[in-house]
Amino acid sequence: MWLEIMIFELKYRAKRLDTYLYFTILFLFSIVGVDFVYQGVDLGEVKTNAPYVIAHTMAVLSCFFMIITSMIPGVAILRDHEHEMESLMFINPLKKRDYLLGRFLGSFIIVCFVFSGIIWGMILGESMSWRNSDALLPFRMMPYIQGFLFVVFPSIFYGSAIFFTTGALTKNLIVVYTQAIFFFIVLMLSRTIENSFISGILDPFAFAPIQHAVNLWSVPQRNADLLSVDGLLLYNRLFWIIIGLVALGIVYFRFQFIVVKDKSSKKKSPQNPAAAFAPFNEIEMPDLNIKFNWKTSLVQLSHHSIFYCKTMLKEASFWAIVISAMIILLINSISLENSYGISSFPRTYLIIEELQEMSIYFFLIILIFYSGELIWKERTIKLDLIYDALPISDFVSLAGKFIGLMMIFTILTLSLIISGLIFQSVKGFYQFEIELYISGFFLELFPFLVLFSVVSFLIQVLLNSKYISHLMVLLFFILVLIFDKMGFSHNLYQFGGDNLSSYSDMNGYGHFLIPYIYFKTYWILFVFMLFLVAVVFSIRGKETHLKTRWRLAKQRFNASILKMGLVSLILFISLGSFIFYNTNVLNDYWTASKKDNYRADYEKTLKKLTYLPQPKIIAVNLQVELYPSDRDYTVEGYYLLTNKTNQPLQEIHIQKRIDPQAKFEYLKIEGGAKLNEKYKDYHYFIYELDQALEPGDTIEMAFKQSYITEGFVESNPGSKIIHNGTFFNQDYFPTLGYNSSYELESDQTRKQYKLEAKSGRVDRNDPLELQNAKSGDDGYEIDFEIIIGTELSQTAIAPGVLKRKWTEANRNYFHYKMDQAIINFYSIVSADYELFQDQWMQKNDSLERSVQLEIYHHEGHDYNLHRMMESMQHSLDYFSEQFSPYPYRQMRIMEVPRYVKYAQSFPNSIPYSESLGFMMDVNDETDIDMPFFITAHEVAHQWWGLQLIAANVKGRKMLLESLAQYSAIMVMKRRFSEDKMNQLIENEMDRYFLGRANDFNPEVPLSEVDKQDYIAYRKGGINLYALQHYISEDSMNLALKRFIRDWNGFGGLLQKERYATSADLLEYFKVVTPDSLQYVVEDLFETVTYYDNKMISGHFEELADDLYRVDLELEANKYRRDSLGNEKMIGVDDWVDIGIYGEGEDGNEKLIYLKKYRINEGHTRLSIEVNWEPLKIGIDPNHVLIDGDFGDNFIEMVRRD
Amino acid sequence: MSTLNISGLSKTYSNGVQALNNISLEIPKGVFGLLGPNGAGKSTLMRILATLQEADQGSISFGDLDVLKQKEELRKSLGYLPQSFGLYPKISAEVLLSHLAVLKGISNKFKRKEMVKALLEKTNLYAHRKKNLGGFSGGMKQRFGIAQALLSNPKILIVDEPTAGLDPLERNRFHNLLSEIGETAIVILSTHIVDDVKELCTNTAIINQGEVLLKGNPLELIKEIEGKIFRKTILKKEVKDYKKNYKVISEKLLSGKPVIHILNEDHPGNGFSPVQAELSDVYFSQIFDH
Repeated sequence: MWLEIMIFELKYRAKRLDTYLYFTILFLFSIVGVDFVYQGVDLGEVKTNAPYVIAHTMAVLSCFFMIITSMIPGVAILRDHEHEMESLMFINPLKKRDYLLGRFLGSFIIVCFVFSGIIWGMILGESMSWRNSDALLPFRMMPYIQGFLFVVFPSIFYGSAIFFTTGALTKNLIVVYTQAIFFFIVLMLSRTIENSFISGILDPFAFAPIQHAVNLWSVPQRNADLLSVDGLLLYNRLFWIIIGLVALGIVYFRFQFIVVKDKSSKKKSPQNPAAAFAPFNEIEMPDLNIKFNWKTSLVQLSHHSIFYCKTMLKEASFWAIVISAMIILLINSISLENSYGISSFPRTYLIIEELQEMSIYFFLIILIFYSGELIWKERTIKLDLIYDALPISDFVSLAGKFIGLMMIFTILTLSLIISGLIFQSVKGFYQFEIELYISGFFLELFPFLVLFSVVSFLIQVLLNSKYISHLMVLLFFILVLIFDKMGFSHNLYQFGGDNLSSYSDMNGYGHFLIPYIYFKTYWILFVFMLFLVAVVFSIRGKETHLKTRWRLAKQRFNASILKMGLVSLILFISLGSFIFYNTNVLNDYWTASKKDNYRADYEKTLKKLTYLPQPKIIAVNLQVELYPSDRDYTVEGYYLLTNKTNQPLQEIHIQKRIDPQAKFEYLKIEGGAKLNEKYKDYHYFIYELDQALEPGDTIEMAFKQSYITEGFVESNPGSKIIHNGTFFNQDYFPTLGYNSSYELESDQTRKQYKLEAKSGRVDRNDPLELQNAKSGDDGYEIDFEIIIGTELSQTAIAPGVLKRKWTEANRNYFHYKMDQAIINFYSIVSADYELFQDQWMQKNDSLERSVQLEIYHHEGHDYNLHRMMESMQHSLDYFSEQFSPYPYRQMRIMEVPRYVKYAQSFPNSIPYSESLGFMMDVNDETDIDMPFFITAHEVAHQWWGLQLIAANVKGRKMLLESLAQYSAIMVMKRRFSEDKMNQLIENEMDRYFLGRANDFNPEVPLSEVDKQDYIAYRKGGINLYALQHYISEDSMNLALKRFIRDWNGFGGLLQKERYATSADLLEYFKVVTPDSLQYVVEDLFETVTYYDNKMISGHFEELADDLYRVDLELEANKYRRDSLGNEKMIGVDDWVDIGIYGEGEDGNEKLIYLKKYRINEGHTRLSIEVNWEPLKIGIDPNHVLIDGDFGDNFIEMVRRD
Repeated sequence: MSTLNISGLSKTYSNGVQALNNISLEIPKGVFGLLGPNGAGKSTLMRILATLQEADQGSISFGDLDVLKQKEELRKSLGYLPQSFGLYPKISAEVLLSHLAVLKGISNKFKRKEMVKALLEKTNLYAHRKKNLGGFSGGMKQRFGIAQALLSNPKILIVDEPTAGLDPLERNRFHNLLSEIGETAIVILSTHIVDDVKELCTNTAIINQGEVLLKGNPLELIKEIEGKIFRKTILKKEVKDYKKNYKVISEKLLSGKPVIHILNEDHPGNGFSPVQAELSDVYFSQIFDH
């Protein structure tokens, strides 16, 4: 019997157009699936049809289109209910089992058919012309079959089962849709769970397990191997299939094969016969004086809106959404954490961002489904004939529904705001900023909701099919997203325009707000016209035929609609013109492709001039006038240029900042020069000197440049020169010679313009780049002096000693001068600051001068000032004692708005993002003191980068970032407990593996590191720390002391002809490393080496009182990866720590034994005697070796009797 | 008081069914009965009158109003009770009626309250006014439908098969109500129950398969066939023969035996006896050929 029912279901679906429509949508979308999922991701050496790329893409697609499972199995039972077929179905001699099984299997087979579109679409996608054939492996069918079977199939199975069940049990479509939230909740929840196994199991679409399966794979492996369906991935898929089966079990037991539910029949109250007998016509009807005017319409509109809002409030599904949203928020609070596991203080803007990010799904679900429900409301409950004959205008009818939806959004918003406030109070944070909440939602989110709700209304009205419209609205979202990502479109025609940029405590919404409001108003006017279209096409009565609707629409396009339409059209065009005037007339609007083209041409035309001999800047003397409110500045002054080459120079090549806002007012070169403007298009000016600049000679280059902001630009208005928190560097001023930072970055784009892939930094023996401290280095040991004027409320800061400070013409002026040479790298910062200061005494300084320590911070951002201050002091102590004296008399930290996410070290000044250390809520018990650590890292750059200058070749970042990271770790080590150190190292190790897992290129040895930051920072710090662990802190720091002494950029012994490289550093390491450990230097820095160490067993017996013998068995494997990423096992012959733990007096774990053993076989047995009862034993317990699976390094001891 | 003029109205559905074929009617004040079997096109005609459907051809005017074009205007004077309808299950009768009153244009809060109360009392729903509509019986639902149709004191009241769900008592009372309204407004009632028309209507039209077969005052219509209707009780197996030989306009069972009515100019003899002509005979005689 079930077979017939199944066949019936199949036939039913096979006849329906929407089945094929769903298939087609999936098919078409899957053609661009990989391109969509990996948009903007550089896959590097990994091919775009590598098995796991396919699997991941399939996971994303099945997540996106899971909604289809609600539209097919979700309504398989519901349908009978809606069409009131139940009574007919149920009286047939039909078993419940057959009915349910047949319907489920039938609809599930259809779902499988629909989702098979993914396979065919993706396969076809491979042969699309836009797919780069170099980035493709030969076609293989297996990855697709495997991906479908293990990724898509289980997901659509449990999705179908769950939707089928809720549809059958609740007989309420909206509940079925609300289920979609269930998946989001689980997905979100799974991401917040710390235990990676549980969170991996709970991941409904297996994103994490797929990633987990390839995490430790090398690039060749990722290209060649099919995913192994075991471990986490297998358990995850099994778990979800079981969930599906459970859902089916529930429907089998709970589904009632009767039409009338007990509950409702009980509810029916007995009729009151007396009342029924009263005659009909005794009552006088009141006299009505009905007037139809605008007032009536207004009353109707407001009543109508409230009425719809109330009906939606009666939906249990709405409250399910609200409650889920609140729960998610409260659980997800953990995500105020950064990558170091430290929460931020729950500042309102952070809460709002979290809320927006979380709640957007809920808003979208409400938007898509409730707009459909509203449009279909009367028809669903069959009140439509009565409703449609009511004397309300078409506009009021639809507008009431729309406003009702907006009210629902408002209620959801308010409940989110309330949960935000509760969350803040629970955290003991009482700085409520209600107005920020209001603007965060009503300014940032609401325009978006309004725009897309109108679109949803319009689609519902025009297509006149609820389910297909839902899908179309979803597709519309995705399309807008895709267009947005492609980014070549002007916000005047990119639907909805941009989002509002991040809020910053320092700068508020800043200059981003005004253009945002213009654009949103413009788009709201646009959708208002769309709304009018929806109004005239909305179904009223029984006519649904397209031709009739068109005729009716013309009839309904009456005077008032016309008036509203015309007014909005005029406003739309006027505002559009005003925006166009601002973005395209006052400012230049360039499409992305025009920009790319320009940058490609810049490179093609000027690259040849890269190594043209040019003088170097040796002195900078500037007067900068900042006008933060207008976002303008002028800079006037001079550079001194010296010919450091051994040939006379005829030309000086000056690169003005490529920005139409930046203009030279004059530029004069001492001795006179003729301007050659042949590269004027690139803002590149060649000055042909009247008299050649002889070797060693110096001339002055005087200039004035203005930077004026007019109107607003289309998008990305820049976040450097702003109302409060201006922060920019020397790049905004003229530079000398070719500037490679204007080159195209993405290799994909470069290929389009026939440029070679960007190779990154050159090898360490390149003679030309060894002369450069950075790309296009145009300075050398500069003398620096600057006067900055800014607004009265602001403090302006640049490197140097503050010589004088005064107020003139209602402006503040600051005069800074460096008392010694610096590299050509300086920052200019201006904001309304408060100052926190202290002092530090240089210990080995004969004059015992103190160093002034200053933290300039935004009002109220004083949570971590003492941590940062303490870090400065400890860091200065450690570095000046271990490496070299601190050369300056000040050290300043300046908070800058969160548009930048980093801190950066300039000579004696460190601009430091407000989002970084200032907001962290450090728990000293459980957290690593990150403000301390980050500050220490930046302070370390005062040595590594500002004293030791690294040549612009491969491995540069090892000298700058790895050493800074090492230095910071060592300060931490001196300041904090060993537990904290282990936690820190563990954390760095995790981040290294995370970075490696997400890298699509083979790993390079640390000493040749270039772009891969997870190597330079994470592995760099860990490996330098490991070396120190092997050769001792003293030896290590001795090597560094010698290194910085010899290679100091300002008077170093060897720093004459070139800058230092990582090869130089390794020489210093090798000198202090005993012969037996020389291999460590090779493993850590010169090769990509890692381990898979494992403790197999550990037994102990008590030999005497306080004497125990430990017998252990371990396995040590050592691997290398070559430059292509191929990995091979190499013989192990290494010193490895063995650590034994017992129970300490305080009941906690205590290290009772730690010793290095030379392990020279993979499988090793050892016997150790200890005088404390051992409980646990570990190999490499401090995790100084790179080992992807650290968990198996430990084992509990077993007592042997 | 204007009359409602329908002239040459035709409507064909996209599936080819001709629902209305050149219908012309003049409907004055009073209760107008639209009589016809199921599928005759009554509901289509009423929906067109209620601005819910489009006609292919023809025109409808109400005073100066062109009903087919000036829909919004007509709706202001319209009360409509469709053949079948649903209600918000989780809302009380009072709330929904009040809401519909606003949409009918009764924007004055006090007037609205008064009106809603009056109508609830009139339809005997006052005691149930706080009750959710989901718990309403068929009859109560129908009465609610009537209440909403009367909300704005309509000049044209269109009721499509209104007595379908009502018990005989309720039906009677409903008829009283309609005839009361018919004193001041046009009431168009569609039904396939002949008695409804007989009891209520000052004018009637019989339509079948989209065409008007007969129109006029019911009593006058009966007069036309007075003395031409004859009755006989026969055996079941004879039905076929009688149908061949006579113009059998109706056939019903009485104590299990078929009783037939025939239309004949003269007394046919053969055991037939004359009967008092009824409206039903008019009706059946009209749709006999069709």
